[in-house]
Amino acid sequence: MDIFANLVLGLETALSYQNLTYCLLGVVLGMIFGVMPGIGTLASISMLFPITFYLEPTTALIMLAGVWYGSSYGGSIASILLNIPGTPSSAVTALDGYPMSRQGRGGVALFMTTVASFVGGCFGIIVLIAFAPVIAPHALRFGSAEYFALMLFGLVAASTISAGSMVKGLAMVVLGLMLGTVGADMYTGIPRFSFGFLELSQAVSIVALAMGIFGVSEVITMIRRIKPGDIDPKSVTMRAMIPTREDWRRSWAPMLRGSAIGTFFGTLPGTGPSIASFMSYAMEKRSAAEPERFGKGAIEGIMGPESANNAADQTAFIPTLTLGIPGSATMALMLGALMVHGIAPGPTLLTQQAPLFWGLVMSFWIGNLMLLVLNIPMIGLWVRMLMIPYNLLYPAILMFICIGTYTVNNSVFDIWLVVLFGFLGYVMRIFEWPAAPLLLGFVLGPMMESHFRRALLLSRGDFATFFESTIAATAMGLTLAVVLWGMWSSHRRRKSRILAQNVD
Amino acid sequence: MFSRDYRDIVGGLILVLLGLAFSGYAITQYDLGTLRRMGPGMFPAMLGAAMALLGVLQVIPALMRRGQMPEVRIFSPIFVLSGCAAFALTLTSFGLLPAVAALTIVSSLAELEIRPWRLGLLVVALCLIAWLVFGIGFGLNLPMYRWPF
Repeated sequence: MDIFANLVLGLETALSYQNLTYCLLGVVLGMIFGVMPGIGTLASISMLFPITFYLEPTTALIMLAGVWYGSSYGGSIASILLNIPGTPSSAVTALDGYPMSRQGRGGVALFMTTVASFVGGCFGIIVLIAFAPVIAPHALRFGSAEYFALMLFGLVAASTISAGSMVKGLAMVVLGLMLGTVGADMYTGIPRFSFGFLELSQAVSIVALAMGIFGVSEVITMIRRIKPGDIDPKSVTMRAMIPTREDWRRSWAPMLRGSAIGTFFGTLPGTGPSIASFMSYAMEKRSAAEPERFGKGAIEGIMGPESANNAADQTAFIPTLTLGIPGSATMALMLGALMVHGIAPGPTLLTQQAPLFWGLVMSFWIGNLMLLVLNIPMIGLWVRMLMIPYNLLYPAILMFICIGTYTVNNSVFDIWLVVLFGFLGYVMRIFEWPAAPLLLGFVLGPMMESHFRRALLLSRGDFATFFESTIAATAMGLTLAVVLWGMWSSHRRRKSRILAQNVD
Repeated sequence: MFSRDYRDIVGGLILVLLGLAFSGYAITQYDLGTLRRMGPGMFPAMLGAAMALLGVLQVIPALMRRGQMPEVRIFSPIFVLSGCAAFALTLTSFGLLPAVAALTIVSSLAELEIRPWRLGLLVVALCLIAWLVFGIGFGLNLPMYRWPF
């Protein structure tokens, strides 16, 4: 099988001096950003995004992927030691990780988290290697109608399943699609919604959007809220990181179950790592002999979700790279990075950009290994970083945001966009409108519009085209099912709330 | 505690207005074309309509339930956003380091207390980082400082 040749090719690419350096840089910077309280994975990636513009596409993607798992691991550090989760999936880790560190077992929790991440990551990578080449050739036969239907399903699923309210999630997807229409119309070249600004006749900068919505608005909400942590430095020395035999015995089964759950949910559009970690936590708690230990520092409660989270992170690359349909906001940023470098994601990526694809896949392994190795000597540094007061930290964050945005296009206008989107992001937090669907809609918007228009052009304006082929019809049916499910579950929630109110 | 969920009612109405405005602008300014051969205005007009519909769907259930007062901050957003704006205003005419200083001073007002020594040190430290990382490290094509007058 030529899969072996591909793996060798990937290994060669990933082990090149330059790629190795940037992979390491990405992992380290990602960990540093992720550890900082209040900076989640998305904010870290968008802040380091501009740096990668100077690099080769393969190197850029390898580095961004490094930033990604580096920062998601860094987020676990902050949630275990301080109970400040940066992402929904690390909120799950905090449930049992923080009690562990209160009991002086923070070091063990940190070490075992790395192991769980590594195992989950490996699981996900193997599935990615096995399935991506199988799916891609099928995707080659997709027409515009199929693509539109799949994208619609991805967007609806992402906003319905992961966010709180379905209507709010969908509204933010539409807002993202609207922002995506700004710029020259692809068929006629007419600048849309540019309001006379020359800068807007291209498109809204994805960096400015991500920085404003995830970075600036995060800073605004965190100011005067985060207190510098009280951590017992003794609980996180190297010696305190060695797990007991009991810890290992309890951990291996949750790791395997978590990996399987994560691998499955990662491939579905719109579900991704946070759903996977919640599912895994629920499963571990249900199958445990003593469920009452959960929430009080049970090691199973961090091992399952952490491996699920990382497995999902890896398999989420399957729809992103083979179909060009990202399942989560992070993947949307990765896709944005590809497109900035002029590479069209999709089924042809595997054949035309073979070194990129296989190099990226193999770099996941190297990066995850680096994570495992780096974590142990650097743990003292993380603890010290967690003690930096936020009032010194946030001006520095803002500085990186502003300079970073400027350097992408050398444009002051983009900084004004950051101000605007920072405001929008804050307003969205007030109204509890989720930000991740907005970014997904923004990235997919232009592609979706083009497929929509082309499909209707080919079918002479007949909407039946979206239901003719099996794939398109299935995707449309699933979309409908997800919407119905969302309506049903919100109805059920409302009913139980009304009942609760009557009891008061 | 509100007797109605005013947050979602107001938010939903904003969505409706935004959707209608977007649709209206697209319909009046751009060519709609036909379903078979769409012009630049058709897709945006549909999006606006979808947004307005979702806004209505957000308002209706909110009318029938109790809601909670959202926490709205006034000073944090003002100072953080003005800090970024100060950076944008000073960058081209004064150079990078004065812009970093302006950003740091304005945004740290969001703490609602001024500690001059600490702030001074922070400004110096951040200017140093900016100079080392972006000036020397990335060789940013931007003057570090400049006197426009």
